[in-house]
Amino acid sequence: MSFKIQMIVAAIVLFALLYIANMVRRETLDIKFALPWLTVGAAVLVLDMFPGIMNYLVHLLGIELPVNMMFFFGFCFTLLLVFSLTVKVSRQSEQLKRLTQEIALLEEGMGKEKIKEGEVFKKKDES
Amino acid sequence: MSTSKKIVIIPAYNEQGGIEKTVRDILEHAPDFDYVIINDCSTDRTLEVCQKNGFHVINLPVNLGIGGGVQTGYVYAWRNGYDVAVQFDGDGQHNARYLDAMADKLEKEQLDMVIGSRYIKKEGFQSSGIRRLGIRYFTTLIQLVTGQKITDPTSGMRMVSRDVIGLYAENYPKDYPEPESVVAILKKGKRVEELPVQMNAREEGVSSISPRKSVYYMIKVSLAILIAAVRR
Repeated sequence: MSFKIQMIVAAIVLFALLYIANMVRRETLDIKFALPWLTVGAAVLVLDMFPGIMNYLVHLLGIELPVNMMFFFGFCFTLLLVFSLTVKVSRQSEQLKRLTQEIALLEEGMGKEKIKEGEVFKKKDES
Repeated sequence: MSTSKKIVIIPAYNEQGGIEKTVRDILEHAPDFDYVIINDCSTDRTLEVCQKNGFHVINLPVNLGIGGGVQTGYVYAWRNGYDVAVQFDGDGQHNARYLDAMADKLEKEQLDMVIGSRYIKKEGFQSSGIRRLGIRYFTTLIQLVTGQKITDPTSGMRMVSRDVIGLYAENYPKDYPEPESVVAILKKGKRVEELPVQMNAREEGVSSISPRKSVYYMIKVSLAILIAAVRR
């Protein structure tokens, strides 16, 4: 890997890291959700600065090309992240459902109280 | 009859044309029952029709789909101390004249659920051939995993005891909930029986299960039944 490429990658990753850090600072992104991305950014940066680590790992795992290892781990990371998001969405849809139900039930209860107090409309008699 | 508190839960999504008739039917033919309409954030004039008539309605601020809507009714029934709750479609498919008979059966035979079934006497609206085939498949699948034959597992006309009101208030499937939720209570040892009823062809609105969705429906519900069968 040429020194030039190394520098370009480092610049891009640094920019991304700063961008994410700034979002956390401005509270548009929760640190809990920024953490996986910051970790990946840091890891890429380390591998970029010290290509020896990569060569060592590739050799250790018996993978032919370093780039294959990057794709493999990148894919695994993405899969993990997407799955964890699916789990979160599922949980949040349940929470959202409960909240919606509670709001509706609360509103119904308030309406009843108003009826009792004779504030709102009189319930039409069914006959 | 008994002094038990009974409520009809009417899930309504865009039922402006059928809801009024449905409520009148209940008021006339099942006067022992309270009722509550769950307006699932309808985009038509369902809410206005309900308010204009002074109907008892719980209004969901965002659309939850049939499962979340009906469950709202079960939570309401649970918190307000109802002994019996029955689901009843808001589109004129169901007939309120069967509700007393269902409640009688539920109480006399100490059951936990009575399902209004179209397929015991095979009278009234029978649904299309392809749908009947799908329903028969679910009957077979449920019989395989629970040992009990439910002839109309997709029937939306189901009456339950306070026990099951509590279970459903706690946990109810979000979409296409009927077959799965029957299996869930059968697995908990609850007693489910059916009563022959006649249903009407839908006068208003459209079925939630379009042909395009039916493949997804079959797969999702099959899987849900199998999972419900191995749950605890």
